[in-house]
Amino acid sequence: MKKILLCCSGGMSTSMLMKKMAEAAKSRGIDCEIEAMAVAAFEDAIQEYDVCLLGPQVKFQLDSLSEVAATYGKRVAAIAPMDYGMMKGDAVLDQALALID
Amino acid sequence: MKLYDAIIDVVERHIAPLASKVGAQKHVRAMRDGFIVAMPFIILGSFTLIFAFPPFDENTTNSFARAWLDFVAANMDQILMPFNMTMGIMEIFVAMGVAYSLSKAYKMDGITTSALSLMGFLLIAAPQSEGGLTTAHMGGRGIFTAVICAFYSVEMFRLLKKYNITIRMPEQVPPAIQRSFELLVPVLVMFLTLFPLSLLIQNQFEMLIPAAIMELFVPLVSASNTLPAIIGALLLCQLLWFSGIHGAAIVVGLLSPIFLTNISVNIEAFVNGQPIPNIFTQPFWDFYIFIGGSGATLALVILMAFSRSIHLRSIGRMSLVPGMFQINEPVIFGTPIVLNPILFIPFVFTPIINAVIAYFAVHTGFVGMGVATTPWTTPAVLGASWGSGWTLTPVLLVIVLLILDVFLYLPFFKMFEKQMLEQEGPAKAASTVGEPVSA
Repeated sequence: MKKILLCCSGGMSTSMLMKKMAEAAKSRGIDCEIEAMAVAAFEDAIQEYDVCLLGPQVKFQLDSLSEVAATYGKRVAAIAPMDYGMMKGDAVLDQALALID
Repeated sequence: MKLYDAIIDVVERHIAPLASKVGAQKHVRAMRDGFIVAMPFIILGSFTLIFAFPPFDENTTNSFARAWLDFVAANMDQILMPFNMTMGIMEIFVAMGVAYSLSKAYKMDGITTSALSLMGFLLIAAPQSEGGLTTAHMGGRGIFTAVICAFYSVEMFRLLKKYNITIRMPEQVPPAIQRSFELLVPVLVMFLTLFPLSLLIQNQFEMLIPAAIMELFVPLVSASNTLPAIIGALLLCQLLWFSGIHGAAIVVGLLSPIFLTNISVNIEAFVNGQPIPNIFTQPFWDFYIFIGGSGATLALVILMAFSRSIHLRSIGRMSLVPGMFQINEPVIFGTPIVLNPILFIPFVFTPIINAVIAYFAVHTGFVGMGVATTPWTTPAVLGASWGSGWTLTPVLLVIVLLILDVFLYLPFFKMFEKQMLEQEGPAKAASTVGEPVSA
């Protein structure tokens, strides 16, 4: 099972995307767990997940969060603004899966 | 569009990188996250206040209101207890929350530093008298002290660790006992630095450290209540959002001590039946200025939901419900508003116009000052009413502002829609023929 973490400022808008991604995963028969959180919870949470994707609005924290994630051998990336805005669950799921392998 | 290019250039080259640094800076983040720890307690406290001070006239003849008022008069102390133990001592939550968040950033033990910070804060802010701790400096006027105390305790502990200043025990002493002595040094340093300082300031100026620090911050706090300061904060927030950075998280992160100080001073006046002083509070920012989220985009979302452009219509409809709860990332990134020159003017200036109108509405007394801290995801009409102690005029103001915002966004929206329709091409446009525009 793959575990994907989504972070934005308060975990609100990423929770919308989380639902879309879960739907996409279900329709494709992919076994994965997706969780959305405030970026403040990132440091405690990252160990539990395979990868973390950031909302574009908190992309400015990408460098510092990547450093933390690297210590656990995990990767962090930012979601493309358009994919985020249009809540493209499929595309973002692909992005996450590509980073895990 | 020369001005637009120049502004974007300044934002991208100077403001955005600086904001990124500020927003990712450890102390700024710790402050923001620490306030988030305190927020549910503060919201509960604000919420219970309404039971103690229901929005009815003292001489009302309505039997329900009469019964409520009489009940309150008889049980004031008990009714105020939840308020006193949350909002009334919010600095305790802040002192611990900020210390915890900062220690996490340094990978230090959170509970130890929180306790250290709490001790330091109580030491300087709550002198015991007649068997009780006074809470006079814990209800909002000591926010800056709580933050400084949290920073101090964590940084001091970190330095002691870095230079390995600790009480050394012989090798044979079990590690658990060694650790308990390790903590003794920072506790001692905390005590030996803060307590004499507190006594000195009490002696010299006859006030406690929180009151002295508040004096220092008075100019900042009162400046925050002026229209230029509000517009300045807004402009920064909007320019950051426009370049794709969460401007609100950064600006509100910096403003939160001011918001909390302002609202608690307002509540104090409200409870004592005095005129309420501060205009600039969190409900003012969230519900009058940013109806539907940063940029006051609910108006734009409504326009988009009925657009002839397939793209705009689908984003608009998807964003209607989140927009009512003040969440608007889909609109900002999906439309997109980010770096969209056509939407630059309404996105930046609609909130400013809202702010100016709301400022005068509060100033002239048409709507009440903020007396409650509310969740920012409350729909604006509700939040505005809640924030002012459940009065009706704020609802009216929000509706008027929303209608105004629709007209402010309209010409720019039309321009952008036209462009989108051209891009979508005649084939796609043809496929929508027959579908009612307002469906």
